[in-house]
Amino acid sequence: MSSRTTISRITAIGGLSTAVLLAATACGAGGPAATSGSAASTVNVLVEAGGHAELTGVAEQCKKDTGVNVNFVELPYEGMFNRLSSEFSSGNVSFDVAALDSVWLPSFKDAVQPIDELFTDEVKKDIFPALVKEANVDGHFIGMPAWTNAEIILYRKDLFDDAKNKADFKAKYGYDLAAPTTWKQYQDISEFFTKDGMYGTDVKGGVETEWLAHVLQAGSPMVLDENNNVVIDNAAHKDALDFYTSLVKSAPPGAAQVDWAAAQNLFNQGKTAMTRFWAHAYRQIPKDSPVAGKVGAAPMIGGSAGVAGVPGPWYLSVPKATKNSDAAKKFVKCAYDHNDLGIESSLGLASRISAFEKYQDKAGYESFKPLIETLKGQATATRPATAKWQQIVDTALVPMLQKAVAGGDSATLLAAAKKQIQDLLK
Amino acid sequence: MRISDRRFALYLMAPAALFLAVFVAYPLFRLVADSLFKISPTAGGPRDFVGLDNYVRAFASEAFMGAGWRTLAYTFVVVALEFALGLGMALLFTALGRKSEVWRTVFLYPLMIAPIVAGLLWKFLMIDNFGLIGTLLHQAGILQNPNQIGWLSDPGIVLFSVAVPDIWLTTSFMCLVLFAGLQNIPGDLIEAARLDGAKAPTLLFSIILPLLRPVIAVALVVRGIDAARAFDTILIQTNGGPQSASETMSLLIYRTMIRFGDPGLASAMGTIYLLAMLGVAFFAVATIWRPGKDN
Repeated sequence: MSSRTTISRITAIGGLSTAVLLAATACGAGGPAATSGSAASTVNVLVEAGGHAELTGVAEQCKKDTGVNVNFVELPYEGMFNRLSSEFSSGNVSFDVAALDSVWLPSFKDAVQPIDELFTDEVKKDIFPALVKEANVDGHFIGMPAWTNAEIILYRKDLFDDAKNKADFKAKYGYDLAAPTTWKQYQDISEFFTKDGMYGTDVKGGVETEWLAHVLQAGSPMVLDENNNVVIDNAAHKDALDFYTSLVKSAPPGAAQVDWAAAQNLFNQGKTAMTRFWAHAYRQIPKDSPVAGKVGAAPMIGGSAGVAGVPGPWYLSVPKATKNSDAAKKFVKCAYDHNDLGIESSLGLASRISAFEKYQDKAGYESFKPLIETLKGQATATRPATAKWQQIVDTALVPMLQKAVAGGDSATLLAAAKKQIQDLLK
Repeated sequence: MRISDRRFALYLMAPAALFLAVFVAYPLFRLVADSLFKISPTAGGPRDFVGLDNYVRAFASEAFMGAGWRTLAYTFVVVALEFALGLGMALLFTALGRKSEVWRTVFLYPLMIAPIVAGLLWKFLMIDNFGLIGTLLHQAGILQNPNQIGWLSDPGIVLFSVAVPDIWLTTSFMCLVLFAGLQNIPGDLIEAARLDGAKAPTLLFSIILPLLRPVIAVALVVRGIDAARAFDTILIQTNGGPQSASETMSLLIYRTMIRFGDPGLASAMGTIYLLAMLGVAFFAVATIWRPGKDN
């Protein structure tokens, strides 16, 4: 055999093996890691960072009770939706349970299993009514609330208790300085503390939920009514927007890009005297923060329709594509049974009314009473159940709020948003 | 057994060809094919043929046209500044000769930083309320207060702000390519021009730049396409906001596909974008480089 023939053979074999290797790695990449039959008692749980802490205690308890091992896959919040969406669209999931933000439920309803058998009457009684309603999409329960949250008022007790502040405030506004119970008071207090490089409150142009809570307080459903008609241009939405933007003058600059993280940072750094924020933030104030130990919590303020917040629950759901459904459902049930274990985690939340009530009088959990009160508020409602919600938020609501906080005319902006949302829903 | 040279060459090309077929040609084919369907974002969902409807929707959408213009403006700003700065540095290094060796290495440093890291770094330099740039400009007496300029929150300037890390990262690439090109310009040509009394501007515009043309074309095309794909630095700094003022085409396509669950429309947008890029590249090669035309 000539050397040339040898070379040609080696080349051909080399080429072929490269191709086989490439094909093999292509198939293997990104596939499910531990959903095969051999690891049936291990469930992979996809969570965002706070959820990981929240469920760690539950996972340990579940292992003792049912023998199900839990392997957490943790992602930052920003990456969760995108990861879920791409895995569901590939039909090949790397997890057996996913913790889903409530706004994602309608988008993923076709990709997760019904878990109606877990929702007994007793269970339904111990979960906030708005959550029982939200977990049910198209007649089936598709997620078990794992923890829930709502915005409450956090304020600087040290500044509110300061004698000089009290006297100055009373002189200027004619009533005592205390945690606000009306939105007029909130405006006054925000204005009062905006001085010497400090601001009274924040205005979040990068997120929509807070403005939507004001809409609920003004007595209107959020954006869409029960028949999916766009009602964003009604008086309640306009009043809520006008109030929202009225606070811009008492808030740090750059409101257009202020989102949850930025607002929490501003408060923890001592730049703002009050914030409307998710209740979990109360327990998350870092020990070395200038405001640590100086913060008070008050319930969300009511409008003409009473107290209202937009709950921010997370649900545990089981994807249809998992081969490990039984163990996954065992874990979901176990997470409900031991729901209160999450309260001592760094996120410090639960979803069962009984779990919150167990802790509400303990020191360090002062935020729970305001949270329960807000969650039980008459006008508290969850976001509209439409698969287009994320798109409505990203392309219509947030840009509209950003224009509004920059000084845009509220009626014109709402009318434009209405048309945009109608086009999206076509 | 003897094989012909032709067959031997085919064997050598086979692995690369197979690789390209699997990882380039097939996905491209799928992209174009998907753009003709309305596809459910969940696997196993319905998939309806809609013809060119997705293309019509893309062109009718304000977001798509806006993102197109923004991408064009972003690319123009980034590439023009990188070219001007890069050429200046390359000429400086050439003039310095061997003395520039250390500086060349130092100048290449940003090129080695991951875009996400650079994006985060600049985000914290420019962010409202805590940003260092505002504070420094305030301390230097240029701004009345540190938050006077909303680098990342003012829709009028945000596109330029998010371009800064990109320019900072890749000016050195432009400089490197142009510097390599400058080394190939014969010294005697420059010397002859000098003896004929040519001054610096004449030397630059009539001798150096025309001779550098092929290198400039490659640098502009490569960087132009790269800049038009800008994604990571912008995602980390503003996520396309405020009011979508920094949403470039890649961000829009990504959001349409992953966040809004519309693979069909995203594929149509991707296809249009790809064709536009091909058009620009052909145009640049034909007008700036003009391979073979000068001879």
